[in-house]
Amino acid sequence: MDTGAIWIIATASLVAANAAILGSFLIMRKMTMLADAISHAVLPGIVIAYFISGSRASLPVSAGAAVSGILATFLIQTLTKKMKMQEDASIGLSFTFLFAIGVVLISYFGKDIDLDQDCVLYGEIAYVALDVWKINDVSIGPRQFWILVINLIIVVGFVYLFYQRLVLTTFDPAYAASLGISIVFWLYALMGGVSLTTVLSFEAVGAILVVGFFAGLPATAYLLSNNFKQMIFIAVGLGVVASILGYFLAAWVNGSVAGAMSVIVGIEFFVALAVSKLGKFRIQPNHEKVIKPTLGKT
Amino acid sequence: MAIIEEVKNPVLEVHSLTVVYNKQPAIWNVDFTLPKGQIIGIMGPNGSGKSTLLKAIMGVVDANIGYVKVFDQEIEEVRRKVSYVPQRQSVDWDFPAQVKDVVAMGRFATRGILSRLNAEDKEIVQESLKKVGMEAFANRQIAQLSGGQQQRVFIARALAQRAELYLMDEPFAGVDASTEESIIELLNEMRNHGKTLIVVHHDLYTASDYFDWVVLLNTRLVASGPVAKVFTPEILAEAYGSRLTTLSKVADLLAERRFPMRHK
Repeated sequence: MDTGAIWIIATASLVAANAAILGSFLIMRKMTMLADAISHAVLPGIVIAYFISGSRASLPVSAGAAVSGILATFLIQTLTKKMKMQEDASIGLSFTFLFAIGVVLISYFGKDIDLDQDCVLYGEIAYVALDVWKINDVSIGPRQFWILVINLIIVVGFVYLFYQRLVLTTFDPAYAASLGISIVFWLYALMGGVSLTTVLSFEAVGAILVVGFFAGLPATAYLLSNNFKQMIFIAVGLGVVASILGYFLAAWVNGSVAGAMSVIVGIEFFVALAVSKLGKFRIQPNHEKVIKPTLGKT
Repeated sequence: MAIIEEVKNPVLEVHSLTVVYNKQPAIWNVDFTLPKGQIIGIMGPNGSGKSTLLKAIMGVVDANIGYVKVFDQEIEEVRRKVSYVPQRQSVDWDFPAQVKDVVAMGRFATRGILSRLNAEDKEIVQESLKKVGMEAFANRQIAQLSGGQQQRVFIARALAQRAELYLMDEPFAGVDASTEESIIELLNEMRNHGKTLIVVHHDLYTASDYFDWVVLLNTRLVASGPVAKVFTPEILAEAYGSRLTTLSKVADLLAERRFPMRHK
């Protein structure tokens, strides 16, 4: 295996780890579709930031994306909570609207900037290894890889430090609010992380694989785990496995790397579903066999 | 006719409280004060604003008009002394967690944002589980609990907060008779230790056995006072409208000097 392959797998694994950690919270909040929405809705922010800064430098582009991601979250939340629209309708409307703005902007500025929708949706992970960072003419590996390492440090730091707050607002928001914890703050903090991860990942792997990682990895891990921490670790592990197997699948069929990794994520899910239905791993809820509490009075 | 009894040194004061959802008032201009060290029932028909009242007291929903004082202070100042037990059905019990994880959430209430649990916290978690008869279930998946056990876990979480005032939203809804009995026993014990318990409840038959004080709500406040004064046929009819068969039965029951009766 050449070093290019290792860098591609490592980069995809980093995307998977970021998405798996944040996606585990999203799935328990029944908000996975919000990640899908954000991954598309960041497009106008990227285009505008790109146009203003005139470069594909990560910092302005990430900032633009984070802003439009949070804007999308705000739009969806407002439509759902304040305007009493159905959540799925709010999400569907908001992200197609914002994505379409991005598409129009790209086609309008098309000749001036080097950016297209295909790149946003499908990424170009096969070329990751070509864009290397050099310090004093010594290559230290692909630029994307190091950007995602920073992303992972941010995500892990955020979740590690504020784990209790995030779990509490996810599991029981009313109780969290009764303790004086701001549900809205933690929602937007989480969505800010999702926006950041999406935009730092999209260039490498594209929005489709990002969404596949956000939704598929936690859903699979949920079937296999007993507690939430364990679920996050399993999701990350599944992501690394999908990156490795996906790479070789792509090499074997000589096809899209991001596509093959998404396929592996899907296969992992159905295998886990079969395994959990056979009852080998996760103890399924069974209300009939529950032991009655020991009480003096009964 | 309507009884709204004010108390001195109240544990809780509610002033002109109004909460409007979607242009519909859920509670309207509610004013009352509650005494310390009692078990207080919040009662009223479906949709009369009982849960909303608790949420507004805790600041979980914002009041449109009015204000609340707890221990003569703003709720923000005294959150550590107040514990809220939401409706059991309001959370997803398929969340991958163990019983002790949920109870431990009560300990984070008193902690800073970055803190971790220490040995004392873990001891309090075990002790709280013991009080609700669930100590053997500490490591159980919450997805495997029955309705009554879920309710006990929620109460254990509230106990772990070591609060002075407890607000419980329908702790008796959908639980088995033995759980209901052990919960009311626990509430009595807590009251005897000087705690104040405010409990949203549905069942008129058991109310006079369970509560010292009753707040009757029907979007507006109908009555607030000692249970014997509030449970008269006229006042109950005002709160519940004209479902008189039940009401006259309850009134009869009370006339017979709290003839003990269990439902179910």
